Amino acid sequence: MVRIYHKLTSNDALLLLLIALPGILHFLIFRYVPLLGNVIAFQNYNLFAGMADSPWVGLKHFQNMFTYAEFYRILRNTMLLSLYSIIFGFPAPLILALLLNEIRQKWFQRPVQTLLYLPHFLSWVIVGGLFVNLLSIDGFLNTILGSLGLANRDFLTIPEYFRSILVSIGIWKEIGWGMIIYLAALSGINPSLYEAAMMDGAGRFRQMWSITLPSLLPAITVLFLLRIGHVLDANVEQVLILLNPLVRDVGEVIDTYVYRVGLLGAQFSLTTAIGIFKSLVGLILVVGLNALSRKTTGESIY
Amino acid sequence: MPAYRSDRWFSFINGTFFIVLCLTMISPLIHLAAVSLSEARYANAKLVYFWPKGWNTEVYSMILGMDNLWRAMGVSVYITVLGTLISLVLTSTIAYALSRPSMPGRKIVLRGIVVTFIFSAPLIPNYLLVRSLGMENTLWALMIPGALSAFYVIIMKTFFQGISSEMFDAAKMDGCSEWGIYARVAIPMSLPVIATIALFHAVGQWNSYFNALLYIRSKDLLPLQVLLRNLVMEEQASNMASSAEVSLVMTPEMLKAGITLFATLPILIVYPFLQKYFVKGASLGSLKE
Repeated sequence: MVRIYHKLTSNDALLLLLIALPGILHFLIFRYVPLLGNVIAFQNYNLFAGMADSPWVGLKHFQNMFTYAEFYRILRNTMLLSLYSIIFGFPAPLILALLLNEIRQKWFQRPVQTLLYLPHFLSWVIVGGLFVNLLSIDGFLNTILGSLGLANRDFLTIPEYFRSILVSIGIWKEIGWGMIIYLAALSGINPSLYEAAMMDGAGRFRQMWSITLPSLLPAITVLFLLRIGHVLDANVEQVLILLNPLVRDVGEVIDTYVYRVGLLGAQFSLTTAIGIFKSLVGLILVVGLNALSRKTTGESIY
Repeated sequence: MPAYRSDRWFSFINGTFFIVLCLTMISPLIHLAAVSLSEARYANAKLVYFWPKGWNTEVYSMILGMDNLWRAMGVSVYITVLGTLISLVLTSTIAYALSRPSMPGRKIVLRGIVVTFIFSAPLIPNYLLVRSLGMENTLWALMIPGALSAFYVIIMKTFFQGISSEMFDAAKMDGCSEWGIYARVAIPMSLPVIATIALFHAVGQWNSYFNALLYIRSKDLLPLQVLLRNLVMEEQASNMASSAEVSLVMTPEMLKAGITLFATLPILIVYPFLQKYFVKGASLGSLKE
């Protein structure tokens, strides 16, 4: 024992391996073993028989998935939610950072930032509670609308509003946080660029267009690529907390479906097939757009 | 800077915009506080806006007497502190080893980690793994599987590599083993990045409820967020508050508001102290490999 210990501690390479070992094992067990666990999508997985004894069924679950009307509904919901949150949610922190950067008074900027970051630190349960309180039939918003003589509505149960509300709340919670990276990039821009531009007679918007935005382009590209890779991952903690039976048709996404039908309903194999489909779409998009971006802008995430 | 008239208008509108935006961030919380502290008849008549009408702290004495709320808070503190420690040990050790040129198999391990960044297994296989490891219905299920993330490992590894290699060489000359360099040089010199990652992990751990929903069955092990979800979203509070004896002094809305604020309080208390770390940390996140 003592000799082994001595050998281990005197050899740098071995010792480094030893130091890294817990982390490596963690990655193997908790990231790679579940990837192998994907095989249950090709089985009729039975919780009691286990992976080894469950019968193999080939691609049956994938075929079922594509003939299944419910699948298109949740796929559509997921894509629409994601699309809205990319169109409206992705540029929002960038615009906010640009606007905040135009405020030169530090005494004003600091407290504003503090308040804008705050919602990021509240859990989705709390944020959900806040907005249910705000939007329900006897909630605060209806109190105000009522005093203006407008009709009372239970906003969170109206299918036409649900996606917009979901996306807006997401933006509300993360907009301040999202702008931090842009603010950091903004503070790294060489001020002499602006001085030179002003000498040449460039106004505020011309400076923004010709100096600020190009300087932010690397950050924008990387953040966008990372976002695209998660195009089919709805924020399950958010959707689950705001979803209710009245809006299930428009609000249920892949992740909440897998939780409800797969886990609570014990449809392990079918929902794993759906999960694999989701991961593959994300992977293809990231790899494809990454290659495209490397060719066009020279920026890439790997 | 020349002060054109249009510039001054822009600044004015811009400033106003930010004031309004800040109000939307803070006003829901203020409204909840006002509702929870009002008298039931005003709250019921929807007459409370941002200042309590009447004065009534009954809601809070009820909350302070809720044993399950205190227990859940204890669970949350426990998993946050221990979970963050586990995460820091795992992250810093593997990141340190990967930052050293003499680490064998460095490239392969690094690639293996980056792969997990873009490709991850769906929910069900993860659930089955945790189950088969016997972690279901234990607090380990909330702390161990999420303890390491590729993102934090790469940030920390980049930081270690930024420390001047002369520091490491000098320690080596003085007879330090790699273990000693890790503990006595690398860790003390990277406290800012460690604090940042600790903060991010702790916030995530404190706020998450989905994992507990998946893995925790026993009522005694429910973290605060899950209990809060049951109380605030699933009408349990309404049942409590509408029991005859309390309905005269509080409405279900008042109780929900109070519970929500109570659960927000820990974050609001530590928040100002954390700010200087997380701003620095979030920009660290923009580092590339």
